[in-house]
Amino acid sequence: MPGCYETATVYERRVNDSTGCQPNWTDRPKTGRLIRHTVQGVNGRDEFVLRTVEERGVRFIRLWFVDVLGLLKSFSIPVSELESALEEGVGLDGSSLEGASRLREHDVIAHPDPRTFQVLPWKPDSLVARMFCDVRQPDDGPFGGDSRATLRRVLEHAAALGYTMQVGCEVEFFIFGALGTNGAVPTTLDDGAYFDLTPLDVGSDFRRRTIEYLEQMGIPVKASHHEVAPSQHEIQLAHTDGLSMADSISTFRIAVKEAAHELGAYATFMPKPLAAHPGSGMHLHISLFEGERNAFHHTDAETPLSPTGRAFLAGVLAHACELTAVTNQWINSYRRLATGFEAPEFVSWTRRGAAALVRVPSRRPGRAEATRFELRSPDPACNPYMVLALVLAAGLRGIERGYELQAESIDDAPNGAPRLPLDLREATDLFDASELARETLGDRLVDVFVANKRRELDDERRTVTEFDRTRYLRLL
Amino acid sequence: MSDAWIYGSGSEDTSRLLAELGFSPHRVAANGTLRPPAGESRAPALALVLANSLEQPSCAELCARLAADEELGEVPVIVALPSDVLSEGIGVVEGHELLVEPFTAEELQARIARARRAVSGIDHDDVVRVGSLEMNLATYQVAIDDRPVDFTYMEYELLKFLVTHPKRVFSREALLNRVWGYDYYGGARTVDVHVRRVRAKLGNEHASRIKTVRSVGYRWEGT
Repeated sequence: MPGCYETATVYERRVNDSTGCQPNWTDRPKTGRLIRHTVQGVNGRDEFVLRTVEERGVRFIRLWFVDVLGLLKSFSIPVSELESALEEGVGLDGSSLEGASRLREHDVIAHPDPRTFQVLPWKPDSLVARMFCDVRQPDDGPFGGDSRATLRRVLEHAAALGYTMQVGCEVEFFIFGALGTNGAVPTTLDDGAYFDLTPLDVGSDFRRRTIEYLEQMGIPVKASHHEVAPSQHEIQLAHTDGLSMADSISTFRIAVKEAAHELGAYATFMPKPLAAHPGSGMHLHISLFEGERNAFHHTDAETPLSPTGRAFLAGVLAHACELTAVTNQWINSYRRLATGFEAPEFVSWTRRGAAALVRVPSRRPGRAEATRFELRSPDPACNPYMVLALVLAAGLRGIERGYELQAESIDDAPNGAPRLPLDLREATDLFDASELARETLGDRLVDVFVANKRRELDDERRTVTEFDRTRYLRLL
Repeated sequence: MSDAWIYGSGSEDTSRLLAELGFSPHRVAANGTLRPPAGESRAPALALVLANSLEQPSCAELCARLAADEELGEVPVIVALPSDVLSEGIGVVEGHELLVEPFTAEELQARIARARRAVSGIDHDDVVRVGSLEMNLATYQVAIDDRPVDFTYMEYELLKFLVTHPKRVFSREALLNRVWGYDYYGGARTVDVHVRRVRAKLGNEHASRIKTVRSVGYRWEGT
């Protein structure tokens, strides 16, 4: 019948209650699994993609995936290859997902996800569309290097427990004029030649264009404004489920770069590009839902979070240090955390302070669904799939093992709270030894990530910097 | 092939005409059941009521029960009456469309198109038109003022569902079941998120047609 969906599914929830511990997601026993029975085919999605390509005259399809560091990778296929790509996937060298530290060549198959098919708004002359891919082994088994699949697995685990994750986010970034070479300090747009070129503020022009792109890409924007530092902007993305948010952040970064490029500028998500100004963070607003009910909401207005919410937050805080390598994955990330400007330094939570790791926003009456906490450590150069997978895993562990939430810190005083790792080396060591990370992400993803970070640290260790010269050249 | 369910007796000629139009006709016993005897559980594309042959339940009662049925409430209903009983008024205002016996296959086809449009707003060419908004269900394309609007698959499916079920409120849970149906872990909030995205893409003129019905769900206002 017209308008009627031709598929139906029965979910079976079978959580491993008997052992009292959570199932292992990387090698999950059947008991923790969400089982799907697809009654009829799901070819409507493929059909939608194929017809749209035909009707709209799309010329190329970009297949997107992210590497272990969250950097977007893309390869194009012509329309003639689309049908077989949807059916069988496209072969790929799996080491391309492993960042700069490739283990070895390894054939994998990229399966485009037709639900993410979207015509790209910034290529109006010849139409190009994109689809995100799930990367699997040639025998259709999971590929340990695919962080998107990892997030999906953790989300399915949450669903098996009856929870869905909602995430909103505030992304800060800079747009600069032409980038100098060899690490020269970039030109800010608010106080230089660019401002003279156009009578309007380039920034607001740029934000308008970016928001148009984002809305056309199905990424609703809640708000946008000029940030504290010159040339710094913030755009808030409306909440959505975890996987869509990670996809949105990946899409967001490329959309912002495209919009800036069209105005002759350059957008960067580097956490701390200017020494004298605040860095760029990416605050995540996180909540769990049970059906239509916000599981973090407490009916008593004086209690900021429900018992479920407190246990979840306790899990996130308990594992915050070992997950810092992922929320803040670059050497540069720690320069943002080191210099204050409200960037968090201690594992603490607060309702009113501005510099804690977690802020629990005060409630607005009648808005139970908006109850959430704000995780303030991540920066916009993270791999959003790994961050969300690990934050969710840490929170679920807090629920499953009944963690107790530490006392609230008042007026940003750390109150004996542990401090976050000071630099990438400390963070990487903690991450390498994290049992939670290994259980959630699998050894392969953790090892590849750690190898990448050690390599970055080695590169830096061998570099003579501006700091060395200004500090030592005359003195020594 | 789409099913057509026929209520009442004397249906042989009608069955043949429906089969000619590509339907798979099933007779429903005139003993008060709403569904054909064997296995068919999915809602049909069409219900044809041969009103003159009905005694119990009456045509009016049958149509009311169809409309109230959870699964069959959106099935286009055509009431067929012989010309000599029209003046008695029985069945004349029931269903979505009236068909006067005897009729040809062409007329039947036209009446089906009208009944379908009355229920879902879908035109005979598989296009739903609402002001400057055009939704082509055969090609999955949506245009506003003849300019294409690019939706993702789930956005398209949600919009299609709302547009073809105008003026009825659907809860988030109902939309999840009927539009997503499978393979989601975004929960009920997924619906809100998609509604927001669809509204953003529809733009000012049409966004407000998706009404939020507070603490219930959503409704499409086609006009």
